Order: sequence, then structure tokens, then C-alpha cells
Amino acid sequence: MRLFKRFLAVVLLVSVTWICSSTVDAATAPKQTKPGFAFPTENITIEVWWHEYGPFTAYVKELIEAYKKLHPNVTVNATIASSTDMNQKLTVALASGTGPDIMDADASYYVAYYAKGILEPANLGVFGVKSYPELAARYVSGGLASGTFDGKIYTLPYQGNSMSLFINNKLFAAAGLDPKKDAPKTWKDLMALGPKLKKVEGKRTVQKAFEFPYHSPRWQLQDLQPLTEQFGGKLLSDDGKTAYLNSPETLKALTLWRDVTKACGDPKNTKSTASNPNQDFLDGFTAMWITGPWATPQVQASPIKNDFTVVGLPQVNPAKPHTMVYGWAWGVNKNKPENSKIVAWDFVRFMLSKPDEWLAKAGFVQPIKGVSETPVAKKFPFFNVHMKDVQTATWYMRSENVNEIAQAVGRAVDSVVYDDADPKTALDAAQAQVEKILKK
Amino acid sequence: MSASGSTQSRSLRKLFRLNIAAKQALFAYAIILPTLAVIVIFRFLPMLQAFYISLHEYDLIRPPTFIGFRNFIDLVQDPLFLQSAWVSFIYVVFSCVPVWVLALALAVLFNREIRAKNFFRSATFMPVVMPAVVNAVVWTFMYHQDGVVNTILAWFGIDPIPWLRSSKWALWAVILIGIWRATPYYMVIFLAGLQAIPQRYYEAAQIDGASSWNQFRHITLPLLKPTTLLVMVMSVIVALKVFAVPLIMTGGGPADATRVLPLFIYQTAFEFFKMGRAAAMSVFLFAAVMIFTIFQIRLFSRGED
Repeated sequence: MRLFKRFLAVVLLVSVTWICSSTVDAATAPKQTKPGFAFPTENITIEVWWHEYGPFTAYVKELIEAYKKLHPNVTVNATIASSTDMNQKLTVALASGTGPDIMDADASYYVAYYAKGILEPANLGVFGVKSYPELAARYVSGGLASGTFDGKIYTLPYQGNSMSLFINNKLFAAAGLDPKKDAPKTWKDLMALGPKLKKVEGKRTVQKAFEFPYHSPRWQLQDLQPLTEQFGGKLLSDDGKTAYLNSPETLKALTLWRDVTKACGDPKNTKSTASNPNQDFLDGFTAMWITGPWATPQVQASPIKNDFTVVGLPQVNPAKPHTMVYGWAWGVNKNKPENSKIVAWDFVRFMLSKPDEWLAKAGFVQPIKGVSETPVAKKFPFFNVHMKDVQTATWYMRSENVNEIAQAVGRAVDSVVYDDADPKTALDAAQAQVEKILKK
Repeated sequence: MSASGSTQSRSLRKLFRLNIAAKQALFAYAIILPTLAVIVIFRFLPMLQAFYISLHEYDLIRPPTFIGFRNFIDLVQDPLFLQSAWVSFIYVVFSCVPVWVLALALAVLFNREIRAKNFFRSATFMPVVMPAVVNAVVWTFMYHQDGVVNTILAWFGIDPIPWLRSSKWALWAVILIGIWRATPYYMVIFLAGLQAIPQRYYEAAQIDGASSWNQFRHITLPLLKPTTLLVMVMSVIVALKVFAVPLIMTGGGPADATRVLPLFIYQTAFEFFKMGRAAAMSVFLFAAVMIFTIFQIRLFSRGED
């Protein structure tokens, strides 16, 4: 009898422990299933840098405190910089040998850091896996593509944003449209909505139906890339050595961009800026706008509140959907002591272990399998739409020269939209500029 | 041993037995030495370093590779650099010339006995006190379709102008802010110059029956020559270095219409991470500033010769 009671107690204890641990996060991906490494026992200080965004900063600080409780021998120092300055600060710091143990960067910049030999590959033991494909299998297809180089995973994204179409319900209703039934599935559908939603009084545009971005070349690249891919082309070869900016597909994409703009937008009138990219949509000046799930809290805090709808990115051919994913990721500095790198990767694993909390507290979507099943994701407005777009996406262009390529793309788009330049001529010029850059 | 020691100390005393002028000069050098050291370390050495980097290919992380003058050769063949240099040239010409005229006119006005002179002087000086970033943000709103500038134009039946969102207008919009911001600063310098002109020259000219215009032309302008040279040199240098306003208001766009040289240098260095190329551009900019300055000084000293 005593033996049975002991057995029952053990079973109960194991069950309670299992239930508790499984309720913490049922769908997490990078969790340590089996310790395959020795955690350092000496006192270790690591430095982590990230870009400023209020809810994100608050959550990472919370994670640091929790990690310190788990590992009293570890001190985590934090440095926060604005998103626009982060790449400059990081590069300068890494150049002077004062860079952090854990860095946070726009996923498209990591290819340059990899090429410069700064990145430490993911510590498989920390993640309890035997191979990189095993780690990648925890993510949605292509979820780690931005940080995988030569078969090894070097960075892990804490946000992989789809670019989906946000619709202002009130503006739709005022035009006699239903945001669910009349939401555009194709670019042709979207252009057809132009006359109903765009309002001009005299020579003043008082409402735009839809607008592409003009506040930053990087955003322009962000929209031209999926458009080109929807036509079956690409802007850059996989090895990043050949540009296809004046290919027939890119030409079709830019021509469509111009035609959509003429029918639906007015790029000469906008309050959107690099620091407030969604401003025209938040002000109710634009009825439809392409942005990521991270914009949801901003929209909810604006006069629009919850009166909005999110649908998938319009397509050239809905049967073959193609979208774009953009985000930020954690990486570990290769030029640090071995034990610091182990702790750094373990802290990254710890930080990423609760994707539902990332969504709830920062509004960031990790491209991880199973995240859609969490209660938080089920409550997040249009989460499945965002995830569906992620699943048909390729990551934002990976190139050491991504900023220069974005500038060339932005220049071509601007000259077509603002100066009525011929798209072919504009793209030929962009191609010549990029070829020159890649040649070097 | 002790005899040789005393001989040495005597010769040392003799060496340091300086006259008063030499001691004063030594003291003066000692005083300026720390400042001089700071200037050399933080001004001249970085300039030399920039020239050194301009001869290399350097991305900040990988070690620099010596490439000789290739960066300079590439630059003169690069249409984007030439376009940017042209934008800077247009900015300098069309922001400086109006500033010289307006600043002098305002200085002459405020040098006269007018009502509430101090209030108007202070009010005019306000744009100089405001940080460039604040100026840029405020003007961005003012230039919007429904902003103050287009509202005023609408009173005269003029359609709204897409000031910052048109490659035709954007540079002029940025130039206008440059004029608005610089004029009061140089007005104060002109004002100081005007107040240094002895009043008796004007009194003598009045007794001789000289008109106001003749007084301005034959007394004010010649005696303001050193001040004018200072204003011209300073304003050209400041205009060639304009950066914050185009960065914040347009980011250099649309279609590179406002990408002045300093902005292109910044992008090349800290967005494209091509430090060697950016340094070569800086050397070009430095050369342009030097050429402008020497040209202006020569122009002004010609009459004196």
C-alpha cells in the first residue's frame, strides 16, 4: 500500500510538472529539449543590443530579469538604439571591437555581417538538436532562410512580418463597399476600387484609395520585390551576384505600380515618413495600405480603432500567391569568448521560447510552426491572414549591397511616379547602377 | 664632480635667462598649447586620416585595402556623384546669394532708428535659435498640401504645390528653408559691421549733399568689405555642408532631387559602408570649399592691391 502511495505521488508529481511546463508554451520552437552542452558556472557578463520600440524593449527587459533569476552567475547588460541608427552603431562598434555579444539587426543586413565573419553559428546543443535542418524544422517553411548561410543557421528571427493589405472599414462603408466581400484579391480588383475610394476636390486629393510607399527606398524595395516575384521574376539571383532590375517581369511590376498609383493614389500628398510610415492610413487619408502585423497596435490606438480588416497581399495570379516577409533577428558575435557565446545563444533560446508572449507583448510574429494555435494568436486580429502570407513569402532581399540596391529601386520608382519617366528607361538606369555596385 | 655639476647648472641657468619678450612668447605658447593639441588631434588628424582612407577600400570591419586613386577616378565617372555635386552647387548658389542681399538689407533696416527695433531684431533672429531638426519637422508640416504655405497660396488662387514630393519643387523648398534660417544669422554679422563704421563719414557725406544711395554705395559697401567677405565665405561653407534639413525632410529624394553632397557622403559611409569612397567624396568637398574660399578672398583683395 505504501509502495502504491509512493508510486501515485511520483506519478502525480511528474504529471503536474509536465502539465505546468506544457502550459507555459505549447507551440514554442527553439526550446531546449535535452541539454547538449555544459552551461558555464563562472560569472559571465554578456551585452545585448536591440532597436528601440516601446513594447519590445519592455518585454526584453522582462526576459533579462527572468533569465538572471535562472542563472544568477550571468549578468546581461542592455544597450538600446533607434532602428534607423542600429546598423550604423553596430557596424562601428564591431569595427572597433566593442560590439555586443548578442546583436539585433534587420534580417537583410546579416548577409553583410556573415560575409565579414562576425557571426557565430547557432549552438545546436543549446537548442537540443543534432543538426541545422532539425532546428529549421521547428519553423514554417523558409522561416529561417534570412539567417541561413552555407547550410548553417546563424540568426534567429523574433519577428517575421508578412506584408498584408489593411483596409479602413469606415472608408469602405462610406463608398458603399463591404470590406470582406469587396476586398481586392488581385491588383486588377484593387485598381477597380480606385474610382470609388479616391476622392479629389478641385486639385486637392482628400482621400486616397491605396498608396504604395514613398517615404523610404527600403519600403519601395519591399513592395517591388513581391510584385516582381508575382510576375515570375526576381530582382537578384540567389547568390546575390546578378541583378534583374530591367527584366520583363520587373518591368511589368513597375508598370503595374505606376498604373495602380494613377488609379488609386497621389504620392505627392502624404504625411507618411520614415519614422511614421503608416501615417496616411492611420489618419484615414488612405483607405488601403500594405503593412505588417506590427502595425496592428498602432491602428488600434488610432481613430480607426478596431474598425479595420486585413486581407492577403493582392496578387497577379491568386492561384500562385507570392508575398514577402520582412523582419529582425538575433545574432551572436563570433569574436567573443567561448563561454560568453554559449550563454549568448542560451539567452537567445530563452528569449525566443515563448512566441505567444512576443505576440501579446510586442505584437511580433515569429515564423514558427504551431504559433497560430496559441490562445494569444487566436485573439490577435487577422493573425491567420498574416501567417498565410508568411507561408507564401520569400524574405526581403539578402545582399551586402541591399541599401544601395534599394536606393536604385527607389530612384527608378520615383522617376516613374513623380517625373513620368518611362519604366523601361528607369529600370535600365537602375540595372546599370546595380551592376556597377555588384561588379565591385 | 661637484665643480662640473655647478658648471652644468650655470649653463642651464644661462640657457633659461631669456628676455621678457621671449618669456612672454613662451608663456603664450604654453597657454595655447592644450588648445592647439586638441585642434591638431581632433581636427587635423581626422582630416589626414580621411585622406588616407580615401586611398583604400574599407567597409569598417574588414581591413582596408590600398587601391590608390581608384575611388577618385570612380567618382568623377559616377553620374550619381556628379548629380549630387550639382545639387549642392545649385543649393549653394541659390541659397547664398539671396541670403547676402536679404541679410544686408535687414541689417541696414535694423541699423536705423525704427520703432520696436529690438523686438523685430529678436523676432528675426528666432530661426537661428531653433535647432535644424525642429525647423525641418515644422516646415515639413507647413509644406503639406493643407499646410500654411499652400493655404497662403490658395488665397491668391494658386493650386497646392507638392513642395517636398516633387522632384521639380523639392530642392527649392529646401533652399527656401536655408535662406530663412541663414539670413538672420548673417544679418547680425552685417549689423556688427555697420555699427563699426564711424558716424562722422555719413555726417560729412550729408554735408556734401550725398544721397542715401550714394552714401550706401560709397561709404557703407566699401567699409563693409571685410564683413562681406566673412559672410560670403562662411555662408558658402555652411551651405556646402547642409545635411540635417534634406535628410529629415526628403531623405535626398524624390529621385535624388535633394541629395546634397554631405547627405550622399553620409549614405555612402554609414548606409552603404563604403568608407573609402565616402572619404574620397569628403576630400572633394574639402577641395570645393577651399577653392570657393580662395576665389572669394582673391576677388575681394583684388581692389586693395
